[in-house]
Amino acid sequence: MGTSNSSKRRAVVVGGMRTPFVKAFTDFTRLDTFALGAAATRALLARLDLAYREVEGVVWGGVILPGGAPNVGREIALDLGLPPSAEAMTVTRACASGLQAVTLAAAAIERGEADVMIAGGSDSTSNAEVKLPQQIIHAFAPLALGKPAVSDYVAALGKLGPIGQLIPRQPKIAERTTGEVMGESAERMATRWEITRQAQDELALRSHQRAAAAIASGRFASEVTKVEVGDGTWVHGDGLVRGDTSLERLAKLRPAFSKEGTITAGNASPLTDGAAAVLLMSEDKARALGYRPLAAIRSWAYIGVDPADQLLIGPALAVPKALDRAGVTLADCDYVDLHEAFAAQVLCVTKALASASFARARLGRETAVGEIDPAKLNVRGGSIALGHPFGATGARMVTTMANELAASNKQLAVLGICAAGGLGAAAVLERV
Amino acid sequence: MNDLLLALGTNRRARSVVGALKLPIPLPEPLARAAGPWEARPLEGESVVVSGGPLLAAITGALAEAGATVLVDDAALLATARAAAEAYARPVRVDADSRGASSANASGLASSANASRVHALVLDATAFETVEQLRAAYVFLSPRVGRLARSGRVVVIARACASTASPATNAVRTALAGMVRAIAKEVGRKGATANTLIVAEGAEARMPPVLRWLLDRRSAFVTAQPLTVTARAAAARSPAVVRPLDGQVALVTGAARGIGKATAQALAAEGARVICVDRAEDSAETSQVAQAIGGSVVLADVTAADTPQRIIDALGPRGVDIVVHNAGITRDKTLGRMSPEAWDAVLGVNLAAVIRITDALLAGALRDGGRVLCLSSVSGIAGNVGQANYSASKAALIGYVDALAAQVAPRGITANAIAPGFIETRMTAAIPLMIREAGRRLAALGQGGQPEDVAQALAFLASPGAQGITGATLRVCGGALIGA
Repeated sequence: MGTSNSSKRRAVVVGGMRTPFVKAFTDFTRLDTFALGAAATRALLARLDLAYREVEGVVWGGVILPGGAPNVGREIALDLGLPPSAEAMTVTRACASGLQAVTLAAAAIERGEADVMIAGGSDSTSNAEVKLPQQIIHAFAPLALGKPAVSDYVAALGKLGPIGQLIPRQPKIAERTTGEVMGESAERMATRWEITRQAQDELALRSHQRAAAAIASGRFASEVTKVEVGDGTWVHGDGLVRGDTSLERLAKLRPAFSKEGTITAGNASPLTDGAAAVLLMSEDKARALGYRPLAAIRSWAYIGVDPADQLLIGPALAVPKALDRAGVTLADCDYVDLHEAFAAQVLCVTKALASASFARARLGRETAVGEIDPAKLNVRGGSIALGHPFGATGARMVTTMANELAASNKQLAVLGICAAGGLGAAAVLERV
Repeated sequence: MNDLLLALGTNRRARSVVGALKLPIPLPEPLARAAGPWEARPLEGESVVVSGGPLLAAITGALAEAGATVLVDDAALLATARAAAEAYARPVRVDADSRGASSANASGLASSANASRVHALVLDATAFETVEQLRAAYVFLSPRVGRLARSGRVVVIARACASTASPATNAVRTALAGMVRAIAKEVGRKGATANTLIVAEGAEARMPPVLRWLLDRRSAFVTAQPLTVTARAAAARSPAVVRPLDGQVALVTGAARGIGKATAQALAAEGARVICVDRAEDSAETSQVAQAIGGSVVLADVTAADTPQRIIDALGPRGVDIVVHNAGITRDKTLGRMSPEAWDAVLGVNLAAVIRITDALLAGALRDGGRVLCLSSVSGIAGNVGQANYSASKAALIGYVDALAAQVAPRGITANAIAPGFIETRMTAAIPLMIREAGRRLAALGQGGQPEDVAQALAFLASPGAQGITGATLRVCGGALIGA
């Protein structure tokens, strides 16, 4: 899986497109994950002028899956009017779901299962379903599913516990096994790796400045589509980027997870609505259809770590694994794109990658994976500035890096993503 | 009112009343023990102060991996310690009672009032060869021993005493062991332990898992003991911090109850498939134990001639990795009044059966990298009135594993014994009250141990991380005075 082998079929990125990313409960509140996904995919196919009949399959990533129709990819295909023969699946690997979709599509192409695949992801935090407590479901399900008598209703009421347990819970991103909110995990990591508030704010500032520069220069015009939100209103661009923010402003924000903490709303990724889609083809098919591929998917890797230890350190293990599979080193890479769940987490991961001690203990190698030149890291900003619609982020990163390699005529980019459950994901893209 | 004091000692309110009234009732500190299988980071959130020494990096790495916050006693050690701890993302700090701080303190005796409690003190004395160097043990431990938390740990890492060393060096090394035994008695009141970890030249890489276990709550009843790590046994499996016995097969004799039952459970909890051996009379109990841990049963009298072959047949072609000779009996009488049957029965079960079964297994069924573990006894070290037969059989096992270790070392097999002190079992519950109470009190920890304490020690010796320990007899006795 995901290894480099010149003799085999290569999966290439023909293009990518995403919706603007906007803060949850703002402009996209009336668009659900299907609508967002369809908007990104429709724009992608329109821009590349691909006949719908060419699409053989859809792999979609999502984290907040709608209970009524969890196979989001299939719904998007049907909503778009893709041929019914185009199969579809939906995958979840928390924040790495979008990358998972891309690498599954690449694997299908490498194996010769398909020549043309759409991969992407979307999430609408604004449309997360508020869950009823299990106690209510267990008490009332027999009534809904059977032919209840009056006495059954009374019995069901009797099964309900104290009223406090019956109030629907606010959804939050907490680890199921540890109960820890992700920000608390990141806060503990920041303490252990001795990451300062200032270093985090500096990284956040750079993320905003670079994203703002990309927007201002028109660099994102080829990968962000405008989206209609109803009654003729259109959202044209990303809503979260603050190019005019400053270290002073970021420094004023209060810690979000503990009084003495260092993580603030300013140096963490915000809850976001959005979608991103990538068109992947076998290299031969792309050329036969007259496309000039942007980049090839050279390798990928997924790993797991103990979520109770360092929940978000995964990329520090996944990145070297993907690099090894590609047969390249970190120093060979022209770009490094790390998902910014938190500035603290990015800084922990870069510190771990630069540590020989970490390499010996965790990777069984004598030398550090390598230092990352800040000039190569997240060159077009990251999830802190742009936002993080969970399922979309991986596809966004693949698109941005594929475009970056093509535009600058550079050779290699490595992507790293941390995800809930203690997962790490990485992929290596190469110029075709 | 049999064990009233015991019950009183575990009652928080009773303890505070006795303390407030300054009643002359000794209430032993309840020991912090670990429930469930080995944890990835047993020292999470704990602070451990480490002294400088040749093994600083290895010690710090082991502590950081176990989740501890490492404090060094000198700022000059920070760079080395930090590099080691960084692998596990644990910051290292200078301890408040650092040399600089204590020299500023005119008396130099009292520990700083504002310094926080620590879980453990680890002194690396491997370079100590002179009386002047020995003084560093005092300088490191004296200001800090008062800060040790309840159920805390003191570990002194040293080189082995040897008649080939210079007399002065050998004296210093022997001094360290004596000092540790004294510290064990001083800190025992708060449930803390003190042990010596002796590391042979060339066996440094085998030290970390042993240090980790000594600092874990799983070694709660091991105190005032030396643990020696050598390169004698050939390398086998690499150590694992959780589920160390994954995929291994263990045989436990006398598994129906007491220490045998606790051992079967502990080995199974670490991932081993356990074959429980006990007599046909105990069929129901043995089956229950085996069923609860997903193990199997062989009903056999360990002394029967066909038992070794029946065990080998039950093991099948996969063989066995861990053998725990736990089955044992007592037939007490002073020697002059002891019947020949009492002598023969005890030596037959406790010794002859162990030798015969081990020999049979060594012929093929016991796999390379395996473990032979025998249950000796403090009675075998000290000798008890009315136990000439029992003391003989238990002392015999100390000699047995010592010689066996050399024989099986090339195959990576280790042979060790555990010598339990006063353990709260059906056997000790039958001892008259006053003697029983004395058995508990005459120990550094002032209390009896639990079968789980012995089981945990056996699980540790069975683990790949204990590859450096062989031919040894480890006392699990709470620092009992008897035979020490």
